[in-house]
Amino acid sequence: MLEYGYGGKILRVDLTERTFEVEPLDSSWVKPVIGGRAANSKRLFEELDIKCDPLGPDNILIFGVGPLTGSFLTASAYFTVTAKSPLTGILGDSAAGGQFGAEMKLTGFDQIIVTGKADNLIYLLVTDDGVKFVDCPEYEGKKIVETTEEIRREQGDVAIQVAAIGPAGENCVAFAAIVSSGNRVNGRTGMGAVMGSKNLKALAVRGSKPVEFADPLAFLEENRKIDREILEHSEYTKRHNLGTTMLMKDLDSIGILPTNHFQEGVCAYVDEISGQKLASSFKVKNKSCFSCNVHCSRYYMADDQEAEGPEFETLCGFTSRIGNQSLPFALEMNAYLNQIGMDSISTSEVIGWIMECQEKGIIHPRDLAGFSITWGEKEKVRQIVDMIAFRRGIGDELAKGTKKLAERFSEEAQKLVMHVKGLDIICGDPRGIKAYGLTYAIASRGADHLRAEPYFELTNRKEEAKKRFGTEKAADRLEEEGKAALVSYSEKIALLTDCLTMCKNIGLCMDILSLERASSLLRAGTGLDYAPEYLAKILADAIDLDHAFNKRLGVTREDDTLPERFQKEPLTKGPTKGATVDIQKMVDEYYKIHLWED
Amino acid sequence: MIKVDLHKCTGCKKCEVVCAFFHTGKVSNRLARIKVLNLYELGIDGPVVCIQCEEKYCLKCPEEALSLGSMGQIVVSPTVCTLCGVCEKACPMGAIEIYDDIVYVCDLCGGKPKCVEACTEGAITFAEGEHGSSLDAIQKETNKMSPNQKRLYYLKKLGASLREKWSRKHA
Repeated sequence: MLEYGYGGKILRVDLTERTFEVEPLDSSWVKPVIGGRAANSKRLFEELDIKCDPLGPDNILIFGVGPLTGSFLTASAYFTVTAKSPLTGILGDSAAGGQFGAEMKLTGFDQIIVTGKADNLIYLLVTDDGVKFVDCPEYEGKKIVETTEEIRREQGDVAIQVAAIGPAGENCVAFAAIVSSGNRVNGRTGMGAVMGSKNLKALAVRGSKPVEFADPLAFLEENRKIDREILEHSEYTKRHNLGTTMLMKDLDSIGILPTNHFQEGVCAYVDEISGQKLASSFKVKNKSCFSCNVHCSRYYMADDQEAEGPEFETLCGFTSRIGNQSLPFALEMNAYLNQIGMDSISTSEVIGWIMECQEKGIIHPRDLAGFSITWGEKEKVRQIVDMIAFRRGIGDELAKGTKKLAERFSEEAQKLVMHVKGLDIICGDPRGIKAYGLTYAIASRGADHLRAEPYFELTNRKEEAKKRFGTEKAADRLEEEGKAALVSYSEKIALLTDCLTMCKNIGLCMDILSLERASSLLRAGTGLDYAPEYLAKILADAIDLDHAFNKRLGVTREDDTLPERFQKEPLTKGPTKGATVDIQKMVDEYYKIHLWED
Repeated sequence: MIKVDLHKCTGCKKCEVVCAFFHTGKVSNRLARIKVLNLYELGIDGPVVCIQCEEKYCLKCPEEALSLGSMGQIVVSPTVCTLCGVCEKACPMGAIEIYDDIVYVCDLCGGKPKCVEACTEGAITFAEGEHGSSLDAIQKETNKMSPNQKRLYYLKKLGASLREKWSRKHA
């Protein structure tokens, strides 16, 4: 019996039959996976027919929160969506902050598991009592905020939170996103396409079951310490004022800001597209996720565009990565992609890849039905985005993702796709951040930094590096030594933040979360005995489980690698000039630490 | 009264969270006496909380269960209250609401409002001794609405003037 922390129930929805079942959440089932991402993974591994078509009715779509979601733990805002990925064919998941997770928690459902396919477009309204199936054929093509506000109006309750798909999800674009809280995006691995394939336009939640604590005063005390540490943190002001957009100048200053599709790591016009420029010229106010005191997000107005965001990935993806020097254009793209529900990272990779291939003459316009595009060509970017989202013309092929698209072209073209396991790489050149490079290579959802977020290698904390990872080099971004140890540590904390549904910028980058602290929070929150040693063990088990699952889906050790460019082509300019990544060495060491043979 | 600077509100809901926690030991927006709305169409977030308005509509309680405290806060006597709902209907801004047989209205936490302490952005401040202005202008518009709808109406109105300022700055 789960009395505290957890909502204590799971909800199963069958869209084909339009039925639902409420089950108690078994404490012995959930304790070893805590909640959030690890609990979702376990559910998927136990219940998925691994041969299923990711866009077929048998795929399982899981929305999950954790025992501390919606509590007053700072930034306990996240929720994770998990399914077999239509983009990569392996484990797919994506988390988002904002307000949805906290409201979902109040329904008392720690997981909402959706299977089947509705016979026409519907949305679900989930409350403490269960599910209302609402037909909404008239919502076809509706954008995110419009959908959100329409559902609120229809149901007469402005406190409803909505996670919806836009046209890209309805059209099953392999990297379609789910968007909630207006502009909060579960972007990666195509979870929006899975929703679309099920004819599920939106999941709306409104609950009333409060979050309760086993030891409220102990929970309060630990949170007071956390809040104090955050407010006194050396990066607090910068993160408050700029959020992740601070990384534009930060990454440029160390020569790893992807420019013209990772051909360079420094960008001559970075001041024009920086977070600082955004803050001074277009930002109207700070925005925040639920229960956070960093308030790192922002609302902006630019020309006739307004939206929340962009985060660094979108900002870089639609500026330097594709050679665009116009900040207002990137802001326009942020607002647009969030409203049509498409992942900005994968979208910018498709675009950047075509730009580079055409620049080099590897892909001719005639191979793309006459379409040609070069760096920073705004109107063409607008066109291509719409072709993908609405699957018009060649957009129908582009919508399958860069890796699959490239299979139609030469080996040379395929080598230029910046992906691992079919997931497009984020904006951060691994040649100058080796632990991140290793993280992209081993991450269980494909090229991704959030599986470990080894920000530590950028902090220059040499003594701490020696203490924690056995070598000072772990704190040197250009070194490969000690990085397997660093990643093996920080992937546990990253998973822990995902289980506590906390923000990684705070949990990991600001180094706020440790096993000891999580233990104290979980004990006070849930009343279950989560000792630090026990946490270390179950996190390691959960990481092993991800690995084993992907193996069953055909992933091999050879897939844990980086695109050839990062291994063989040194950067030619800036503070990372001359660097490449010896990825094999780090992967071998990482496997050794995990006692994995393959 | 608790003053709100809408421009500074980021929508984090710390105020709502601590309000519920310090009054009940639990966290839920239903248990909070200050309620934050996120209006995604307008980019506006903001808390709605009793402003101790000039008219004090809620004090027209037929049972006389409501009275004015020394700081101007609304005091509810749970033993006298019959949960008739007149106060909830009377408040034009949705700042008093019955939920699960309890009347929820801001009590100013005895003079040290927890929500104000929790707001690191300075979006809510405690103006001791000050009282809110008249709600007469919106009373006619909202009198048939639910508390939820009233809060939406109230916040949209405030939000509209803030958006005008933003637009002027970014025009």
